[in-house]
Parts: sequence; structure tokens; C-alpha cells
Amino acid sequence: MDPSVAARLHNFYWSLGTVAFIIVGSYLVGRTAQAIAGARGLGVLQRRRVFWGYALASPWLLGFVIFVLGPAVLSLYYSFTDYRLGRSLEWIGLENYRVLLGGIGAQGRRFMQAMYNSGYYALVGVPLQIATALGMALLVARPLRGMAFFRLVFYVPVILAGGPAILLAWRYMLASNGGFVNVTLKRFADAFTPFDWLYRTFIYTVESFNAFFIGVTRADPVGPLMYVLPALLGLGLCLALLAAADAGARRQVAGTAVEVLGALLVVLLVVRAVVGGSFMPHLHERLGTFWQLITLRSSLLEPGSADYLRQGFAQHAASPLWLLALVLLLCALVAFGNLSDRWRRGLLTGSAVAFGLLAVGGFLDGIRYFQAFDAVAAATGTPQHHFALFRQVAAQFPDANRVPLWLSSELWSKPSLVLITMWSSGAGMLIFLAALKGVPRSMYEAASVDGATGWQKFTRITLPMISPAMFYNVVIGLIAALQTFESVYIIQNTQTEQSLASAAYFLFVRTFRQLEIGQGAAASWILAVLIVLLTVAQFRYSRWVHYE
Amino acid sequence: MRKRTLMLVGLMALLLGSVNAQRTLEIYITGLTEDTMTWFREVAFPAFEAEHPDVIVDILTGGWGDFDAAVAGWITTGSGPDIVYLGSEYAATFGDLLSDLDPYLADWEELSNFLPAALDVARYDGHMVGLPLLMSPRPMFFRLDISADAGAIPPLTFADSVAFVAANSAVEDNAMTKMGFMDIGGGLFDAQEFIAYIWSAGGELYNADGSSAFDSAATAEALKFMYDRRRAVQPTELTAGLPPISGYPIASGLVASGIFPMWNMPPTSDPLWEQIAIGPYPAGPNGAPLVQVFTDWLSVPAYVQDKELAAEFLKFIGSRENAITLSTVAGFTPVRTDAWSELRANPVWDAMLDAAVNYGRAFSDIRASAELRPLIVEQVSMYLSDQQSLEDTQLFLKEEYDAILEDNGYL
Repeated sequence: MDPSVAARLHNFYWSLGTVAFIIVGSYLVGRTAQAIAGARGLGVLQRRRVFWGYALASPWLLGFVIFVLGPAVLSLYYSFTDYRLGRSLEWIGLENYRVLLGGIGAQGRRFMQAMYNSGYYALVGVPLQIATALGMALLVARPLRGMAFFRLVFYVPVILAGGPAILLAWRYMLASNGGFVNVTLKRFADAFTPFDWLYRTFIYTVESFNAFFIGVTRADPVGPLMYVLPALLGLGLCLALLAAADAGARRQVAGTAVEVLGALLVVLLVVRAVVGGSFMPHLHERLGTFWQLITLRSSLLEPGSADYLRQGFAQHAASPLWLLALVLLLCALVAFGNLSDRWRRGLLTGSAVAFGLLAVGGFLDGIRYFQAFDAVAAATGTPQHHFALFRQVAAQFPDANRVPLWLSSELWSKPSLVLITMWSSGAGMLIFLAALKGVPRSMYEAASVDGATGWQKFTRITLPMISPAMFYNVVIGLIAALQTFESVYIIQNTQTEQSLASAAYFLFVRTFRQLEIGQGAAASWILAVLIVLLTVAQFRYSRWVHYE
Repeated sequence: MRKRTLMLVGLMALLLGSVNAQRTLEIYITGLTEDTMTWFREVAFPAFEAEHPDVIVDILTGGWGDFDAAVAGWITTGSGPDIVYLGSEYAATFGDLLSDLDPYLADWEELSNFLPAALDVARYDGHMVGLPLLMSPRPMFFRLDISADAGAIPPLTFADSVAFVAANSAVEDNAMTKMGFMDIGGGLFDAQEFIAYIWSAGGELYNADGSSAFDSAATAEALKFMYDRRRAVQPTELTAGLPPISGYPIASGLVASGIFPMWNMPPTSDPLWEQIAIGPYPAGPNGAPLVQVFTDWLSVPAYVQDKELAAEFLKFIGSRENAITLSTVAGFTPVRTDAWSELRANPVWDAMLDAAVNYGRAFSDIRASAELRPLIVEQVSMYLSDQQSLEDTQLFLKEEYDAILEDNGYL
């Protein structure tokens, strides 16, 4: 038989088989449901209804199992295998997860960078997007003439945002030299001196922050600076617990902290177990680092050695996880311990002082740590590459001729993407607008009678009343941010690819360009679990949402 | 009841009847201009269909951006187009998944008219897995009328090239106003170009044992050259680029030299060509100037059942007449040397062919190319932007490419 005819026959038989499968499958599902209904003692008529109900719903149920559940389960299986398209598959257990979560090798490093970038889009992009959406909603909620037109204008970017043509237009608008955005900003800066200073401060801040972020994502060691954030978290919690109005509020704060920190530590310890790291080597020696920093002394043992600075410090310094564990212990004592008021206040005050000193000590020692790299480079006459970009931009306040390099530099690529995302905040705006329309006017009138200011009305009435809409936008925004793909795919270039790559972009490249199905599947499951955990956490801690 | 049965039988007969209809040959073409697509649809396909009355040729189009995902989907499902258009470096990536075409092409007498370097691109594990379609020598172009007098044009050594670029670059108010050099992506670094400089520095990508040679002196020379040239154009990483260029960069008057594909150059009839010189990439002291030659080729995936028909189409589209027409329409160079004589009449093509003949080196045998490119982009970008030392860059390139080669079964 002619091969082409054979191919067509093959397709025809498959089509016929599919139809037959759906009919038979639907019948079997209906029969099974009917049998179960019979076993549960339902009457003939009800059993017949059950049969037809399930039989008619089965094409969709079977479709869900075959096209959604099946591939999901299969991808979970692939994530435990070394499977490259076109080659045989080999079971390798947790190896893909170990490589990715441990940042091992080129792929692990790139995955961690991509996760950091996704975190940036979530932590920086989502709040800015929500603020923009809320601001636009407040503007268009005013009962003025022609507002319907502005609502349309603000919403149009939602439809256009992902389109290549629009992203191309953004490329032109964000061109560092001669682009509309920079030309406009420069005109304003030239015309108004205060704006010029504001503009240059903006450039300095954005570049410094992003350069530091790039250094962190490339695993440049931060030395004692790694203790600053956990110490500030401990300090903040101590102050919140001291300021709590009553025992109930205090227990609530402490209990929440225990839950969140406990879950975080469990996740991190599971990750560490998968990666294969040790849990507490030389613990007593390492915890000494905290004491040195609390007493504002340097924890650096060999600041004149480049090897020590690169790797040695991390080998003797305590993990910041121990700080989180201490904060957890403290909160657990306050939440569940039977402490007297005096003891509790003393413990919290002492801890607050210790955490505050630790934050200051960590910051000062961090500066010494960074300076030590410069000293070593000067002594040996070698170029300095530790946080090189950060040092370059932080060393000098921008001259008057400096402009944002938007899409052409890794310093500005992520802010550019966030800016484009903010531009398309119309969907969030619509949600806020609907919520704003639902706030009773009588509340504002009553507040006006009581002499409330506009700000007080906004913070005490508007925000609590639209908190369900805020919650919805946060949940959806966070999920969308963690799944960022299209915009990265379109606006990246050789210079900015690494700095823009999101977790979704990584798994696309790994799966569809490099055909490494196993590792791509593992990356997708890590991302999926992260999204589920964050969403569950948001629902769990949504007490701030006010439902009428 | 009888009426319903009759209708069912009629429907079945209709479906079975369609089975015996004409054969369809589906071809996936990537990243070619609309004119080229029109030529395929309106000229080439009808001509093939006239020769094969029982065949309908259909075209699927897509960009390189969709390419990987599309091909992965076809291979996974075992269902897709009969012929797939591939770029230079893809033989190593997809070689296992393509049909061995030796039984259909090895004895084809016209194969001897193809440039051997182009045929190498479509060869995997010693077997033909496709047929070269178009060739694109990618030389450097120089604007003679706007270039400062900085030695001979084209500069043939790394040092002369840096001097040329420095003399022809300008920065005002912390923004570029003229670029002495622009690479194919509009910036100052391209992964394929980096490989070319390793070659022109006298190095290779692989040692005799198959391991990566990124630790070689030639790699170091290539990296230093790219760094020096970058700094000649862009004094710091905080210098703004050129204003957006609409149209051909070389025609903008803002770019003195660059590497561009022919579709991003003015038509060969444009008088501007009188002011454009064509030259090879510069070389290190131990190497020789070269021109990278990219070859796009047509492959037949392994899942295709009617391989013979697919091979017939490859022979048809690879004919001398089609090669000449296609090169005119698509702006590429024919892969058949017997199709060059007409092109030689055009001085631009004549110079391009000379460059390809005298300096050409095929961009082929790039192992695990899908993983090599991101590695080069990541590591070389860090070096060029002062974030990593030369030694560390070479070390990471070598270690990680060796790991990739091992993982992919090359080591």
C-alpha cells in the first residue's frame, strides 16, 4: 500500500478508535457509577439517573484524566528520571531536584537565578502593580464626565500587553538613547533642578539595588550581611510582641510567627535534606559568630586572604537558619510558654536589644567584609570581581548625563519588565473599581461628620472595605508573577537574557530547547509546589481581609 | 432505522473515500522572508505538484522562537511535517531523531555539485540526514565613506580591528553617537561570533579527545579581543547605546562596521554598496582570518513514513534552477557551486562568494549547541562586563562544557 495512504488510514483508524473509546469509556463510567449507586441502596430510577449523569459527563471527565491529570502524573514521574527526548529514560530518583534546589552545576545555578528573578517579579512587581491598579481605580472611580473613556484607556493595555507589537513599541519607547521615556525624563530633569536630583537619585537607587541583586543571584558571597535580614525580622517581632495590646493579640502574633517560621524552616530543611547538606557541623563554634557580631566585633578570621573571603568565611560562620530557629524558639516561648509578665517583658526586651545589635554588627562587619575584597585586590594587583557591578554603580552618584539603560542593560532589564507589567494593570483596576463602587457612601458621610481627613477615610474605610479585592489581586498577581514567561521571552536579548530569565522561562528552555524533559519536569514541579505553598499561606493568613 | 443506517454507511464511505485522495507533503519552513514563502507557495510547490499529480505540497510556517517547542512536540507525538527546515548547528541536536537519507541521496549524481562544507552540515554520524538548501556567508561589512583612516580596510588582525573600531566610535554625553562595530544582534557580543574568533585565533572548540578546548590560548585571545573591542565602542557598561535605528544599520550612517545577515543589508542594487567593503573576521597571531558560513537545510524526521517522497522533494528543491531562483528571492547564497556563475555577474555577490571561498568555514559540528549557547552568553557576558576574570571565565567555560558534553554522550 502507498505509505501516504497508509498514513491516512492510520489517522482514520485512530479517529475511529478515539470515538469508540469515548463511547465505551462513558458507558463503563456510567455503569460503574450505577453499580456504586446500587450498592448504596438507591432505587431503580435514581440509579438510571446516576448512569446517564455520569455517562454524559464522562467525555469531559475522561478528557480531564487523559489531558490534564495524566500528563501531570507523567511529568511527576519524568521529574525523577534522566530523560532527554530521543534517548532512553533512566530512573535517577531525586537527582534532578538535588541539582536544581542545590544550585549545582550550570543548570542548578541558572535555575536558582531564575527563581531569584521570579521572586523579584513577585516581591517588587506585584506591590507596584497593585499600587498602580489601585491608583488608577481611585482616579477613574470619580464621578466625572468622560470617565468611561479613561476606564477604557486604562484597560486597553491588558488586551495589548502581551502582544509582540506592543512589546516592540516598548523597545522603542525604552531605548536608552533617544527613546520616548528617557527623552521625556531628561527634558524634565533639564528644566527643573529638583527633578534632576530626584531623577538621578532614582537612577542611583535602582542601579545599586539591581546590581546588588545580580551579585546575590550569581552567588557572590555577602559575608556577615546574611545575618542582617533575619536579625531585623527578630527585632521586628520582639517589638511587635512588646507592643501587643493584650495577651490574646500577643499569642496571635507569636503563634503566626511560629507557624510561618516553622513551615519555612521545615521547607528549607527538606530542601537541604534533598540537596544533601549537613545540618549542624561544629555548631558551638559557629554560633560564636553571633556573639562576635552582637558585641560589634569583626567575625572575619583572615580578611587578608582571597580564598578565605570567597569560601572560608562560610565554612566557619553560622547559618542564618539558626537565627530563624532562635526567633522561632522565642516566639514559641511567648505563645505557649507559661512565663510571668516580668519574665516575658525581660526576655523580649533583651532579645530585641540582641537582635538589634546583631543587625548593626552584621551590617558593619558586612561593610568590612566587602572592603576586605578591595584590600586584597589592591595588595595583589588583581582586578576585583566580587559584586563588581554593584561596586561600580554604588561608587559614584550618577552624572547629569546618565540615563536609565532600560532594556539594554542587566541593571535595568527587570525594572523594565516591571514597568511594562505596571502599564497593564487594568485588570486589577477593574476589580478595585468594582470593589470601590461597593463601599457604602454612608460610611464616608459619617466619617466626614466626625471630621475624618481624606487619608483617614482611605485607610480606615476604603482599604478595609476593598480588602477582598486586594486579596484577590495579590493572590492572582503573585501566581502570574511566578509564571512570568511571554514578556521575558520577547524582550530579552543576549545582554539581558540571564537577568530576565524567570523560572517558567528556565523550564521552557530546558524542556523545549535543550529537550531535557526530566529536569524540565522537575523545575515545573518545584515551581508548582512553591505556587501552591504561597497560595495556601495567603489564604491561611488572610485575617486582614474584611468580609461584610 | 434503515435511513439512519444508510446515513452512517454513507458517512463511512465518504471518510474512506477521502483516504484514497491525494497525498500531502507538509513542509515546515522557519524564519524566511514573506517573499520567499510566496515563491515556495506560488512557484516551487505547483511545479512539484505538476511533476507528482497525486501530491499536494503544504507549508507550515513559524519563527525560530517557536521552533524548538514545535519540533519537540512533533517528535514526542511522532506526528508532524514531513520535511523540517533546520539551521546550521542542529544536526548534532536532532541527528538521532532524523531519517537516514543515504538510501535516497547517496547515489544522486547532482550531489557532487553541492559545496562539501555545506553537505557536512547536514551529515550526522556519517550519514546524510538532510539536504542543504541555502547558504549564508556572514562576513564583516565596512562603510568606507564614514570610516576614519585607521589602517587598511578590512583590518585582518585583532589589534588592527580594535584600532579601527576605536577610531570609528564616538561617545557624547555618555551615549554612543557612532559605533565602530555592531554585531548581528545589534549589540557587541554574539555567541556564534565568539566561536568564530576562537577559530580565527588558531584554536578549536574541541581537543583531540573530544573535551572542550575553552582553556586554550586561542580562547583567551578571542576573549581579550572582544573585550578590547567592546571598550573601544562602549567605554563603560553604563554608557547608553545608539538611538534606535529603523532600516538597515549599515545604512544609518551611525555604524562603521558590523556583522549582518544579507537580509539585514540593503538590496544589492542599492548604490550604497559602492561604499561598502566586505571582509573576513580578524585573526590572532597564530590564526587566519575567516568568514563563518551558515547553512540552512531540509531534514526528514524519523517518524515520516513516506521518506521516498520527502527525498524526492529535497532533490527537486535542490535543483540548480531552484537554487538560483531561491537565492535571488531569499537573499542567500546557493549551496550548489554550479549555481554561482549567474551570481558572479553581480559585484556584491561576487565579493560574497569570494569571501566564502577564500575564508569560509562552516558553522557546524557544534556539539550540544542548545546548551552551549546559554553557557557562552552567561560566562562571556560576565567577563565582558567586568564581573569575572579571564581565567575564571575560561575555567567555567571549560568545566561546564565538559560536563555538558559528558552528559550528552560526547565524552
